[in-house]
Amino acid sequence: MLLPNRFIRWGLPVLLLLAVAVVPVLAQEGAMPGGGLSGQSLRPYRFVFYAYAIVWVLVLGWVVSVGRRMAKLNQRLGD
Amino acid sequence: MPSAKIRLGGTVLAVLGVLGILVLHWMVFFWTPTEATMGIIQRIFYIHVPAAWVAFFAFGIVALCSAMYLWLGDEKLDQAALSAAEGGMVFTTIVLLTGPLWGRIAWGTYWTWEPRLTLTLLLWFIYLGYFLVRSSTENPDRGKRFAAVVGIVGALDIPLIHLSVLWFRSLHPTPVVMKPEGPTLDPDMLLTLFVGLGSFTLLFLGVFLQRYTLAVATHLAAVRERDAQG
Repeated sequence: MLLPNRFIRWGLPVLLLLAVAVVPVLAQEGAMPGGGLSGQSLRPYRFVFYAYAIVWVLVLGWVVSVGRRMAKLNQRLGD
Repeated sequence: MPSAKIRLGGTVLAVLGVLGILVLHWMVFFWTPTEATMGIIQRIFYIHVPAAWVAFFAFGIVALCSAMYLWLGDEKLDQAALSAAEGGMVFTTIVLLTGPLWGRIAWGTYWTWEPRLTLTLLLWFIYLGYFLVRSSTENPDRGKRFAAVVGIVGALDIPLIHLSVLWFRSLHPTPVVMKPEGPTLDPDMLLTLFVGLGSFTLLFLGVFLQRYTLAVATHLAAVRERDAQG
């Protein structure tokens, strides 16, 4: 049962993060009349990805931190 | 079991917030138009501004609960202030990290000591001080009272941050939404921004309620352990 729990705790957020990472590039690929990123600076795309990733990492970090502290407290009360 | 109801309410709000943020991602990358001058980098706006709003909202809760804690002495008010301060720090960190990424492309620099950036960094340090003050005294009640004062004083920085772009020469653009004559933003961009504001607020409130029940439970556990010992 350890593996599914670990997957839910770590695997899902990582997969979600990867999915979110691909979105800006895909969206712009489709939106540009020239139909590609060649010849354009990729830096703004990278920075947009970093910015959205920062939101997910920090918010998920806060959620996981609260959850872990709650689990620790429950364990302490159980003892 | 009021705390069970609060936790359930928190979970519902947080899930709604996450769903809202997923919708926001779709709107930002597939629906809302690209800003003509800045291009794709302007899309950071839809998370940067909501994060700033939530940070101000959270620190507003800190100030309000801290003032009431000093007045009434109710531990739950201190726990609510502590929980909101934690959320405020998370969202201020988001603001301070996403802003420089936008600034690097739009202004050509990650950081400049202009009024709004400097005051936002100051806000982050003030509330870092809130946590340090809490744990720096031997008497926990004294630490909570000191922290409450920091929590109130820190919130005075929020209107300064908002008005700094009007009062001082600043690289930051002047407000495009909160203007006396009404918003001057494209309607699609404005709707996307409001979805961001709503989603971030729901998510914050959801996790804040979870954090509050944790703070209450931790306090009760500490009181019980103290009673059991002597």
